[in-house]
Amino acid sequence: MTAMATNTVDSVSGTRLRTVISMIGLSGVGVIAVIVALSNVIARAPAGAANVGASSLAPDASYAFGTDVLGRDVMSETVHALAVTFSNAVLAAIIAVIVGAVAGFAAARAPLRLGTVLRGISGVLGSVPVLLLAVVLVTLAGHEFVAIAAGLAASPAIFNRSFDRAMRLARSRHAEYARATGIPGLTLLRRDLVYEVQANFVNVTGRALASTTIVLATLSFLGFGTSPPHRDLGLMIAAARANYLDIWWPMLFPALALILLVLFARLSAALDEGEPP
Amino acid sequence: MWRDWLLRAAQFLGNLAGAAVLASLVATLSQPAHGFWPFLSAFAARLFAIVHGDFGLSAVTGMPAMAEAFSIFSITLQLLMWGAVVALLLGIPLGVFLSASRTLRAAAPLLQIIAAMPVFVAALALIWVAVRVLHWSGTTQESALSWTALTRSGGWNAALQAFALPVLTVGVAGAASVQLSLRRAAASAWSAPYRSGLRMMGLGALDIDLHFAFPEVLAALLRDLGEMALALISATAVAEWVFHRNGVAVLFLKSAALGDWNVIAAALFLFAVVTLLASFVGNAASQVMIPEDNP
Repeated sequence: MTAMATNTVDSVSGTRLRTVISMIGLSGVGVIAVIVALSNVIARAPAGAANVGASSLAPDASYAFGTDVLGRDVMSETVHALAVTFSNAVLAAIIAVIVGAVAGFAAARAPLRLGTVLRGISGVLGSVPVLLLAVVLVTLAGHEFVAIAAGLAASPAIFNRSFDRAMRLARSRHAEYARATGIPGLTLLRRDLVYEVQANFVNVTGRALASTTIVLATLSFLGFGTSPPHRDLGLMIAAARANYLDIWWPMLFPALALILLVLFARLSAALDEGEPP
Repeated sequence: MWRDWLLRAAQFLGNLAGAAVLASLVATLSQPAHGFWPFLSAFAARLFAIVHGDFGLSAVTGMPAMAEAFSIFSITLQLLMWGAVVALLLGIPLGVFLSASRTLRAAAPLLQIIAAMPVFVAALALIWVAVRVLHWSGTTQESALSWTALTRSGGWNAALQAFALPVLTVGVAGAASVQLSLRRAAASAWSAPYRSGLRMMGLGALDIDLHFAFPEVLAALLRDLGEMALALISATAVAEWVFHRNGVAVLFLKSAALGDWNVIAAALFLFAVVTLLASFVGNAASQVMIPEDNP
């Protein structure tokens, strides 16, 4: 009895903690969204403006994040780059959630074993790392479609988890009862989808946002993402790489912005680690 | 029992066939095809060739694409294997530690705060620490060589320095996957209904953990081998790029930049085979450990 009471207390406090963590994450993502929306106001120099200050100035009172070798204000550049990364990552996450989570859930109830075929295809696509799949898609479609490519590349893993979860639900007792009482399959799917969205939408979207942000930044770092003059955080880090052992600030601040974005996205998912594959 | 094994083998072969179809599709999509039927015909021809081991010629070097990728596969495999060793050495103790008590299990997801750092940022941070703090030299130099070649060319110290950072980068990324898998399995074993029954039969917690929970956790860890391989391959691709190791991942990226689709298809196929093989071996070993644990 005491053990059961302890478990209940743990469960309640755990749920509260997760809610608090999720709220912190959502607030962080919200703040980043506001910074992105006001990027042109917050940044004192336009994107890519060279010779704003002297070359390679260390952070000080006049330039909080310093300047890079071309005399660009690192703070302004970081804000503009964050805007590019965030906008692309949000678009990619939306694609990943629709193509991955929603389609995966619906495919589990598809007739004529269509779902099993789709799961098989997705399983094969899932055996290739997301980053490499994204590189192939970017190379096929072009750099201007990098957000779509990242979203599609992240989809198979999300599809597989969503499909497997939906299959477990379809085999659950409530589904059996519903079928036995004559409730149509489509009505059952709609009902399960509503519950799924209510229970997991924020978590799945948060994890998709974190995942696509990392993929997009890495793509740019490797030279497959956004192209100059539109710089995102990955490209800024790649550009600063040449002499970051001496001039560290043009790399540190974009890296911190990237880490914060990924962190807040993960916190918004209440640090949910996903179900086992 | 035999039926299960046959099913698993058929599933593995089916997945391999799927990987071959994916490689053929990638190689065909890149070529201009006018209309659906010409595309289908080109795809069928390419698939037939790939099934027979012919991935075509590299557009850059003129060498057979698979031979070119395979000639440097050992560099990637070496990094992957050493990375896996580091991942296990770091991930298992971490996973065990974080599964040790209720408080630690609850706090374990906070580890994601550290995992928010993308692999390429972690690699660059490691280089910075190695050069600026530890005063290592040669960590970022062009080194297309393997460990053996580096040691042969002299300087064990230089070889160790040049090899340690990429291995550590891959290993840390893999450790995150290992500890997650271990914690999930431990959580499941911890809440298993048989525990209370065994306690009532007079078994101590250590006996239950050693004889019942441990094999279960190990089997679950083996089942997730495919996921771990994916994490390690991703990290290897980034580590090869950052540390200038000319392995298959760098070949893949360079081929993508140059539009050399036959090599892209060959490299993609190799990576898919590694993941599928890891997944198959892991599942089979897990099945051997706990035979009733059917898929």
